[in-house]
Amino acid sequence: MTAAVTEAFGPLDAFAHPALFYRDEQEYLDGTLPFVRDGLEAGEPVAVAVPDKNLDLIRDALGDAAGSVRLLDMREAGRNPGRIIPGVLLAFADAQPAGRRVRIIGEPVWAGRSATEYPACAQHEALINAAFRGRPATIMCPYDVARLPEHMVADAYATHPAVIQPGTRAEEASAAYAPEDVVLRYNEALPPVPEALTFAFESDSLSHARHVAVGEGARLGLVGVKLDDLALATAELTTNSVVHGGGSGVLRVWSEDGYVVCEVRDDGRLGDALAGRRPVPRDQRGGRGILLVNLIADLVRVHRGDDGTTVRCWFAR
Amino acid sequence: MTRQQLSATGPVPGLAVFPLAGQQGVRAAGEVGLTTRAIWEGVLEEAVREGEDVYYLELSDVTFVDVAGAGALAAAAGQLRDGRRFVVRRPPPALRRTLDLLWPGQSGIEVSTS
Repeated sequence: MTAAVTEAFGPLDAFAHPALFYRDEQEYLDGTLPFVRDGLEAGEPVAVAVPDKNLDLIRDALGDAAGSVRLLDMREAGRNPGRIIPGVLLAFADAQPAGRRVRIIGEPVWAGRSATEYPACAQHEALINAAFRGRPATIMCPYDVARLPEHMVADAYATHPAVIQPGTRAEEASAAYAPEDVVLRYNEALPPVPEALTFAFESDSLSHARHVAVGEGARLGLVGVKLDDLALATAELTTNSVVHGGGSGVLRVWSEDGYVVCEVRDDGRLGDALAGRRPVPRDQRGGRGILLVNLIADLVRVHRGDDGTTVRCWFAR
Repeated sequence: MTRQQLSATGPVPGLAVFPLAGQQGVRAAGEVGLTTRAIWEGVLEEAVREGEDVYYLELSDVTFVDVAGAGALAAAAGQLRDGRRFVVRRPPPALRRTLDLLWPGQSGIEVSTS
């Protein structure tokens, strides 16, 4: 695990990934607007993916120029942090002409992110550096240092090679930059939930496992597309266990706050740090299971252990 | 409090395939997953080899298609030339969802809900 994570990070060259620290709306606009306008003036494609209220601020301040910027509400597009790299950042960057520098403002961490979501946010911020290594892109990540807990701000120093202090426009190198450490530190164990419905599966019972998950999901209040998504996620995760994870695994389903949670545990080792976070070329067969789970779930947490892998996904009721 | 369902019972669902009367294509029944993938891929390979402009895949009795099954359909459709296409009739929701998310605008696939 350590070697695989270390290998994924390297010299950043063309890629820049500063954290923008801000305390109020004025500092937010002072930091983000010049970044957007400089990009537009340079003819660079620009995207802004931030929570709805901040998106409104930027849209209003840009006026007509907002029409030239791809605007996304990060609360929706990036609800699951594991979806942000493939579904927002790389989706935008890959759609531009090859070699063209892109600019993105991405704000995946906001006050109100739950303690369950946050480890996935921190890992996402760290893995951006691996996903964009060597690519001509700048991704600026605003952090509301007035409202975010101290440990989240401290993590921003570890996941960003440069930071911009509140009210300044100058980038300073972050001496604490250590994205591999963040990926490993937030690789938290996901102990079994005792009250969950539990189903041990193997190749012959894959279909049954899916029916068990859908039945329990429906009983717990999931309907419509969310129930279809639970079926898809269960099928992909259990099939991965059979094909790559030692031939069998254990499925668990339970409810938690406003969510139905589905978990698959197996004896396999998930080596690739960016598994499920890369768009897959159209002509490549296979390798899209975890990517799809990231795209449809409201949250995905993964624990990569020495003796197995656990993937847990949340679906809002 | 723990509710355990430790083992599966009942037969493993298969995938049955029948020729369509009066049209070029097949009707499938069952589900497309790991254990039926080879059957599904065989259907698609044959469909690509057929020379007709339109090849119908009647899927109203297919209850589920996993991502690999959707990928096989997208790959087969990608091999169609000269305006040929698959008309996928009444596919299960999982297949539409997967195609929309992972193969948006894939040429050679027309989804029909009627």
